[in-house]
Amino acid sequence: MVDALTEAHRILVERGVFVDARPDSRVPAQVHAGSAGGRVIGTIGTQRPTKTDDQLSDRAVRDVLRRKLFRSRRHGRLWHAIPFEDSDELNDYLRDHLRFSRRVSWSVPAGRRTTPLFVERAVRFEILEKR
Amino acid sequence: MTDTVSAGRILPGGLGYIRPPAEIELAAYGLDLRGLRVADVGAGEGRLALGAARDAKSVLAVDPDRGALARGRAQAKRQGISNVKFREGAAQSLRLADASFDVVIFSWTL
Repeated sequence: MVDALTEAHRILVERGVFVDARPDSRVPAQVHAGSAGGRVIGTIGTQRPTKTDDQLSDRAVRDVLRRKLFRSRRHGRLWHAIPFEDSDELNDYLRDHLRFSRRVSWSVPAGRRTTPLFVERAVRFEILEKR
Repeated sequence: MTDTVSAGRILPGGLGYIRPPAEIELAAYGLDLRGLRVADVGAGEGRLALGAARDAKSVLAVDPDRGALARGRAQAKRQGISNVKFREGAAQSLRLADASFDVVIFSWTL
């Protein structure tokens, strides 16, 4: 990962901009009922190996900042909602997902899971500038 | 000093949007790409590269997946976008010249 960041640094002009954007595994995805802004009726965690990968990526970014290859200009988070017709469709989606846990942690019984469902997840980004 | 921002909540229309639409993701970054040379590394089918090409001077989409690159090229052709190129490559060893880009994007890449 540090190799990739070093390569990005190499091909950038002086004060060029580097963007790192990734799903934020520190924040569980939320399952909303009825609409993207609807009531939260469940959460979905991240698989442990993916969390470990994300931590390694974070470490790589910290490393290039510490080595003063880049300076941080801005960071933030955006939210991305994925619609599903119902819990069956959501479960199918999760079955083969590489990041999300395989199961939803529901906070309401099945009869109160108003459809459609919207899985809203955080995407974090950081804008770095070449030093 | 860094600024922390939080872009608005997003509702892309319809299934199939497993990632944010390019215009929303790029807007969240708050970058003005006009006239700039952009490299999108780990570009896949060029979702973000094609979005960036609307403003940037040129965009190079790099990915190890030849099939994805071919689909990206076809999509660029369909959309009439001529300032984006697709090239096979890996983030760890980019065969690109030093200091040749103003912006490098790793989206879902690290």
